[in-house]
Amino acid sequence: MKNSINSIVVIILMFTTHGFAQDFKFGKVSKQELLEKSYEMDTTANAVVLYESRNINFQYSQNNGFQLITEVHKRVKLYNKNGFNEAGEHIYLYKNNSDKEKLSGLKAVTYSLVNGEIVETKLKKDKIFKNEYSEYYNEAKFTMPSIQEGSVIEYKYKLISPFARSIDKIYLQRNIPIKLMAIHISIPEYYNFKKFTSGHLPINLKESVKRDKIVLNSKSRSGFYVSKTSYSQNEIEYAVNTYEINSENIPAFKSEPYSGNPKNYMASIDFELQYTKFPNSRISSYSTSWEEVAKTIHNDSRFGNELEKKSYFKKDIDSIIKDISDPLQRTSKIFDFVKKRMTWNKKFRVITVDGVKKAYTSGVGNSAEINIMLVAMLKYAKVQANPVLVSSVNQTMALFPTLEGFDYLIARVKSGDNILYMDATDKLGEFNVLPDRVIQGSGRILSENGTSQLINFRPDEGSRFHCTVMCEIDEYGIVTGKQSSNRLSYLAHDFRVRYGENDINTQIKRIKEKYEIDTILSYELKEVDKVGKPLGERFEFVLENEIEIVDNEMFFSPLLFLRDKENFFRAEDRKYPIDFGYGYDNNLMISIKIPEGYKVLEVPKPSAFKLPENMGKFIYRINKTGNQIQVLVSETLNTPFISADYYQVIKEFYNQIIEKESEQVVLKKI
Amino acid sequence: MSRFLLFPFWVFLLMPFFEVSSQDLPELHVNRIDSALLKNANAVVRVEEILIEISAVDAVTVKTKRTVTVLNRYGERSANFSEWYDPSRKINKLSAVIYDSFGNEIYKYKKKDFKDRSYIDGFSLMRDDRIKYFEYTPVRYPYTVIFESEIKRSSTAFIKSWVPVPRYGLSVEKSYYKIVNPTKIPLKSKEINLEEYSIFKNNSDYELSYEVANIVSKRSEIMSPAYFEVMPIVKVFLNNFTLEGMEGSAKDWKALGKWYYEKLLMGRNELPESTIEEINNLVAEANTKAEKAKLIYEYVQNKTRYISVQLGIGGWMPFLASDVDRLGYGDCKALTNYTKALLDSQGILSFYTVVFADERRDIDADFASIEGDHVILNIPDKEEDIWLECTNQTIPFNFIGDFTDDRNVLVVKREGGEIKRTKKYFSEENILNTNAVIQLKADNSMEATINREARGLEYNWNYQIQFETPKNLDLHYKEKWSYINNLHIKSVNLHDDKETVQFVEDLLITCSSYSKKAGSRLLVTPNVFNRNQGNLPVYENRRTPLVIRHGYQNTDEYEINLPAGYLLSKLPESKFITNEFGTYSYELEMLSPSKIKFKRTLKMIDGIFPKEKYESYRQFWTDIKNTDKTRIVLKKE
Repeated sequence: MKNSINSIVVIILMFTTHGFAQDFKFGKVSKQELLEKSYEMDTTANAVVLYESRNINFQYSQNNGFQLITEVHKRVKLYNKNGFNEAGEHIYLYKNNSDKEKLSGLKAVTYSLVNGEIVETKLKKDKIFKNEYSEYYNEAKFTMPSIQEGSVIEYKYKLISPFARSIDKIYLQRNIPIKLMAIHISIPEYYNFKKFTSGHLPINLKESVKRDKIVLNSKSRSGFYVSKTSYSQNEIEYAVNTYEINSENIPAFKSEPYSGNPKNYMASIDFELQYTKFPNSRISSYSTSWEEVAKTIHNDSRFGNELEKKSYFKKDIDSIIKDISDPLQRTSKIFDFVKKRMTWNKKFRVITVDGVKKAYTSGVGNSAEINIMLVAMLKYAKVQANPVLVSSVNQTMALFPTLEGFDYLIARVKSGDNILYMDATDKLGEFNVLPDRVIQGSGRILSENGTSQLINFRPDEGSRFHCTVMCEIDEYGIVTGKQSSNRLSYLAHDFRVRYGENDINTQIKRIKEKYEIDTILSYELKEVDKVGKPLGERFEFVLENEIEIVDNEMFFSPLLFLRDKENFFRAEDRKYPIDFGYGYDNNLMISIKIPEGYKVLEVPKPSAFKLPENMGKFIYRINKTGNQIQVLVSETLNTPFISADYYQVIKEFYNQIIEKESEQVVLKKI
Repeated sequence: MSRFLLFPFWVFLLMPFFEVSSQDLPELHVNRIDSALLKNANAVVRVEEILIEISAVDAVTVKTKRTVTVLNRYGERSANFSEWYDPSRKINKLSAVIYDSFGNEIYKYKKKDFKDRSYIDGFSLMRDDRIKYFEYTPVRYPYTVIFESEIKRSSTAFIKSWVPVPRYGLSVEKSYYKIVNPTKIPLKSKEINLEEYSIFKNNSDYELSYEVANIVSKRSEIMSPAYFEVMPIVKVFLNNFTLEGMEGSAKDWKALGKWYYEKLLMGRNELPESTIEEINNLVAEANTKAEKAKLIYEYVQNKTRYISVQLGIGGWMPFLASDVDRLGYGDCKALTNYTKALLDSQGILSFYTVVFADERRDIDADFASIEGDHVILNIPDKEEDIWLECTNQTIPFNFIGDFTDDRNVLVVKREGGEIKRTKKYFSEENILNTNAVIQLKADNSMEATINREARGLEYNWNYQIQFETPKNLDLHYKEKWSYINNLHIKSVNLHDDKETVQFVEDLLITCSSYSKKAGSRLLVTPNVFNRNQGNLPVYENRRTPLVIRHGYQNTDEYEINLPAGYLLSKLPESKFITNEFGTYSYELEMLSPSKIKFKRTLKMIDGIFPKEKYESYRQFWTDIKNTDKTRIVLKKE
């Protein structure tokens, strides 16, 4: 009996794979596809890619040499109106000087079922819009005509690229599900590429080798008195390495909050050119190791040379360092000097554009100009400093040694056992306190001797927040008191970035909204301008609605306005890691004097719980002495980057904190 | 004002436009700015000079020279100058010079230094206009920019208005505006909100000039009129004009509407025979005009979608109805014209209607000019007009919602234009009723079945959640009730009844820790699903009137079953508030020792109230908020 059930399953499976063997020739859209009402593997999908093929190969012509050809064919099913924004394509065409990618052979058709008949509507040429998008890209856009709920759209086109040395990263996942994807890449033996994959999905890659040939026509003249032209043909055979990926039922990619750059988690394959070796010529190598990348970039005049220049700052730096010999003090002075002098133009760059000299004079520069300048000055001051290449949060992580994986640059100083990272584009930056754009990315240090090392900027320890509240409750349940707090490191930096420039009225307004406080009697910020120092915030408050009085009893949470009210993890599950950037270590101490004529009837019980692997913990202590209640709460999150496997644990951790902090004190009238 | 009288007007008339300055300008020193202008300001317009020369019915030149001192980073957008261009709008001259706070020149941009990119509005598939702009990274504040441009347009349908203070947080030292019109093309103008300023003007039949000095910056306030409703502006329109090569003349809305109809709409409603036949069959069974119109509207909703393509005259003239019929898409103009063509085929009269969409803004009833940013369709019917939003595939027939409700619009008819007012949704129509049965348990948990029914604008504000993915829908409720920790949405059933314009949500939810334990007591907030959470700021000197844009009426009734073994010690007092803004009530009633009934009603009335009323409105809001979070204490039997 058991066996027969199994065999039925097998038969059904075989039947389904064969039964749905569809025809993916262009134009062969079936009635079955048009009738389909939803995608059985994900019924919430508004649209699905029925078929996507990408055929990437190299074509040789005598005039242009090898060109990279990408043939795209896509068939998309639109189940309902919410899927209609999938009914088109936006193609970017790279250009650089006179070389540009070209689009050719675009054909697109909409298929709909009208009274049981398949009706085709072709996209007309004048509905393909072409435009100059930016300095480096042209664009082509179209949207399909006559679509209806249930329509299938299909298009194909060819991209011809003269940039044969770079194959763009191929994404194997989209924001809608893909039923069938066929990727085919053929690369002549002359180009040696290495492949890298990323994402959480299995990638089924097959490799093989084929043969192909180039026919070269040549024309030669001979003869002295009577000229004669002769034509000859020359065939060159070569091997073609092919890669095939055939995937079925690829789920839709959905991004999630607190996960840095979501594209890092999308399935993809990337090809890195190692070297080229053409017949009768020598090997040309391209970046093959981090050491090579280091060499390449140090040899780039917009990097290495810029790092060597000294004359423009000599005088200024000499006067800064002349009385200081301690390298740490020198670093600090020079870092402050650059932060003060330079303003970042918001451009993410690894190499200079206008050059350090010009940047220095104008006081404006990109990330490379400002931080290369900083490194150069530090070296000049005999401090051991290096540039650090950064893949910022905007960039997808580099899978192989390549300059392309980086879009930003910061500085590092090594002094004894101390390692200090710094980014002078951030006027509020401190040693080892970097802007969000950097911490949520990653770095690679390249020293001149060619060694390299991957760097995670996220700190190991949480940033500290200390907060003390002293207050008293009167017989009407009105609470008056003082709050005084200190923030350090990232928490201080974050405060300065967000609120540092606000005037006092705006600060008071912010506090009132954040804590739902009715009246702020005084407000003071300390050391807001002194970057690197702990940031102090003091205020005096009156709470009119915090205490509830029912039947001669008072009820309230002893954390008052400091209690956490909402869990920011609301979703039932999660696929990608949680990336906070940095952790925290909050310490709260609240002292409450109860009104005369009341006694403490109930207080919450002490409690402590923690996350696994020392990721974080929560401790709640409470004491009552005479007419005073004192609460001590410590909440720590050490690990800023947490795998999705821990999602339920983290969510529950915050739930428990909220519950604990909402527990009530009861006072009773004597 | 006396300062102006000392400054002979002819000096201004001879003022040299476009003398390119290339040295330091100590008069730009920030110290020269009156301290009154610095208060609350992010930027100060030191001087703006606009000279408009109308040289022909199809040629207008606008010369601008604007000197702005930026005081802080929020003021940067006041110095973020750019010019756009397209085939009918050319940039002849363009430059910008940056000065430091002392007036020393630090940077200069010539026309070729400006960056050039296509205009991105965020929703169009294609547009033919481009923009030239400069990128400047301020090294320190304050700094000053002198921006100069000369624009030549062949479309004279838009004469640049005088807007001396285009935004909040901006002060103005001086602003000049002048129109010269040597060929004496008749023009008209309208002054709006100039009363509170000392304006010097010199207007003749064909020419205008305005100047003003020392306008002090203002800050925006919550729930106040939109800035465009209160800003000073002088609007100008030529009686004879050209729009993308199309000549026109119009003194009033009637004439302009007629031109609109004849030049931009007429003859664009032809349809293929097959489509007409399809529509004939579609409406064959329908009896009334409204029934037929509804069938046609739903036909359009099914067949088309919104895609914006704005090229040349296509920015003003709809695609041919036959193109929309073939392509199945179009922008607001195209889809409205298409719907109109389908109605025409059935002899149903309808009118293309120009509006300002989204934030409520009137087409100016007594100043005819080409304005508005959206198009809808008007069908006159027996008692009440029918209004159709043709770009939305999901809203019910004759339901324009808050996107184009209650505002003056231009109805374009064959015989001329007419100003009408669109439908207003009154408080009584915008209903949200929430009914729930709540079971509290001794282990602090709670379980509830909820039924929410939305009508009118409440329908508008709620119905779109049906298009969310299950994960987002789950998050939608968790965010709506974010004050409930450990909330689980067990099931959601949504029902969208487009016939009655009613959106119904049926939910089953649980929460493992709703009641808060305090020793032997349980603390419970009876208002589970409709707590007012917002905070309104206190203003010491409120400057602007209080505006409540839309009224609504919410009623919440819950049956709350107490946990076994617990008794309610005391029922909180009921609360009733009635004032000019609306009414609020909060009542609890004991149904049995283990069951209570919670009832809350809130009716808000829309309107514009004098600024003095703001504080009492804020108090009303705070009272509601505090009452909403009232808790009851349950004690062990």
